[in-house]
Amino acid sequence: MGNNFAMLLDGFQTVFTPTNLMFGLLGTFLGTLVGVLPGIGPALAIGLLLPITLTVNPTSALIMFAAIFYGAMYGGSTTSILLNTPGESGSVITALEGNKMAKAGRAGAALATAAIGSFVAGTIATILLAFGAPVLAEFALTIQPAGYLSLIILAFATVGTLLGTSRIRGLIALSMGLVIGLVGADLQSGALRLTFGNLNAIDGIETVTVIVAIFALGETLYLASRHTIVQASVMQMNGKAWMTREDFKRSWKPWLRGTAIGFPLGVIPAGGSEVPTFLSYGVEKALSKNKDEFGKGAIEGVAGPEAANNANAAGVLVPMLALGLPTSATAAVVLVAFQSFNIQPGPMLFQTNPEIVWGLIASLFVGNFLLLVLNLPLIRFWVLLLKIPSHYLYAGITTFALLGAYALNNSTFDLQVALVVGVIGFLFRRFGVPITPLIIGAILGPLSELYFKRALQISQGDWGILVAGTFPKVIYGILILVIIGPLVWNFKKTFAVKK
Amino acid sequence: MILNKLSKQGKGELAFASSFFLLGIFVAWDTSKMDIPQDNSIVSPQTFPYMVAAFATLVGFGLMLDVLRGNHGTPDGDEPGDPYTPLNFKTMGIVAVAIGMHVILLEIAGYVIAATVCFWGVAYAFGSRRILKDLLISLVFAFVVYFSFSKGLNINLPSGFFEGILK
Repeated sequence: MGNNFAMLLDGFQTVFTPTNLMFGLLGTFLGTLVGVLPGIGPALAIGLLLPITLTVNPTSALIMFAAIFYGAMYGGSTTSILLNTPGESGSVITALEGNKMAKAGRAGAALATAAIGSFVAGTIATILLAFGAPVLAEFALTIQPAGYLSLIILAFATVGTLLGTSRIRGLIALSMGLVIGLVGADLQSGALRLTFGNLNAIDGIETVTVIVAIFALGETLYLASRHTIVQASVMQMNGKAWMTREDFKRSWKPWLRGTAIGFPLGVIPAGGSEVPTFLSYGVEKALSKNKDEFGKGAIEGVAGPEAANNANAAGVLVPMLALGLPTSATAAVVLVAFQSFNIQPGPMLFQTNPEIVWGLIASLFVGNFLLLVLNLPLIRFWVLLLKIPSHYLYAGITTFALLGAYALNNSTFDLQVALVVGVIGFLFRRFGVPITPLIIGAILGPLSELYFKRALQISQGDWGILVAGTFPKVIYGILILVIIGPLVWNFKKTFAVKK
Repeated sequence: MILNKLSKQGKGELAFASSFFLLGIFVAWDTSKMDIPQDNSIVSPQTFPYMVAAFATLVGFGLMLDVLRGNHGTPDGDEPGDPYTPLNFKTMGIVAVAIGMHVILLEIAGYVIAATVCFWGVAYAFGSRRILKDLLISLVFAFVVYFSFSKGLNINLPSGFFEGILK
């Protein structure tokens, strides 16, 4: 523990060089800028900004990344409060109450409680991350390949079935992601899969291309396919983005409760930011003395879910850094960012690249602080961004997404892939299939195959190893409880109604 | 006769669902045709793809059943507008063509032209009709991106027609 603290201080030392601070500042600015734009969530924002970091040295780039990460989250909450649409699932709740507050002329208070709440939650969650991730990583060193495989399968099951409204549709998305992950040469034997003789496909499909295309191009195609394109109306904001003593009094407990709900649900693969934000909202509504205000613009309904959203995002970084397992689209992009510098997150990361990982954690603190200082005073500038006409906005998003897809390898093949994935993204939106399981499948699919093969190599081909040992048994036990449990419960409920 | 009961959207969704069923079968077929270079590993490179194929086929079938039983997906409604409006293939087609043009033009005509065409096309599809003004904005956007990336960040973008001027 004490050692980790010293490492963290070293991390701060890495961050506090003029160059790295510059990149941190640039990251917060760009992250917020792109995050504020309607239709761009944190995952897409990071994906779009990835090419910018490609030519910078790894440490500075990752520091910039941490800043972009929190910046995009902040930007997103501004949009959901001032526009009458959430834009992404984690902000649905913020939009619900925050927009009502804005309508009642309390936009400033809503923005302030969101920003300060995000700061408080982000800071607490980053502290927990700094001390939790190394412990988890140390434990993870003892996990055997079969254990890893069980963890991945658990992540597949929870991300596939907990997101969205329909279980089967989540699994459809997962299967599509697994198929995308298959494309290319098999790592061990070199056997080619689904390449159709295309030389470019041998290296597989770039994950960043998939992420950028499925969010940006899929969304643009989907909105274009709807008859009318509605320009979302921007709320008026009078006065400063600040809150009164009364607002503060009503906000601080929801911030802490939101953090307590959001962080653990990010660490375990519970499937994105929907669940924690909805839970936090429910808790605040149940505990509030002003229940009648909920649905009409209650500040607790912004403070809690916003804190939960941010703490959740930091929580997701714990398994991402310590196990190398991303369980949200945002974490998936951060993982890809690491990989683009040939750094593999996972239990070894804290030993092989301590300066990078601690620099990253320190810059999460710094980025979070910079945002609080920058964001509220600059609010009027961000509001201007919301007024960009939607036809230029989507034209820009499309063009920029294609740039990102191309710049990675300077290859037109990636652009062709982007077009196809964009069409898939359109179909998914049209038919109510969630996007995240596809991304998780595409990233974790190849990894699951790797652990599967390793496990069977250890056992000389005996499949029994997959469930041997305590750890896999515990994980599969949890899996059965999480997946089968609700099914039985639902069945009982329908049965009871019929009776 | 079951098909008659389905609405137009339902039929589209059924086709969507069956495509996953077919995708699974296709992956299995591709796997069976796989060239295995001197295999002496314990796990064949075919094992995992077969599992994925089986999974895709299974969930594809599951979704087909779900649609046939009348459970339809809820279109994504996080953005403004009514998600249940009928599809407008014209506007969507324009966006797809704009993206396609970018892909084709990039290495033939260079980044600036490809990006201008794409930006302008998407803006047009989204209802903007100020053709000249849009063209100007598209050009400026393409130039700014080209310069900041190729000069500022040393990311190599094809210069195309402007090779002499921009270098």
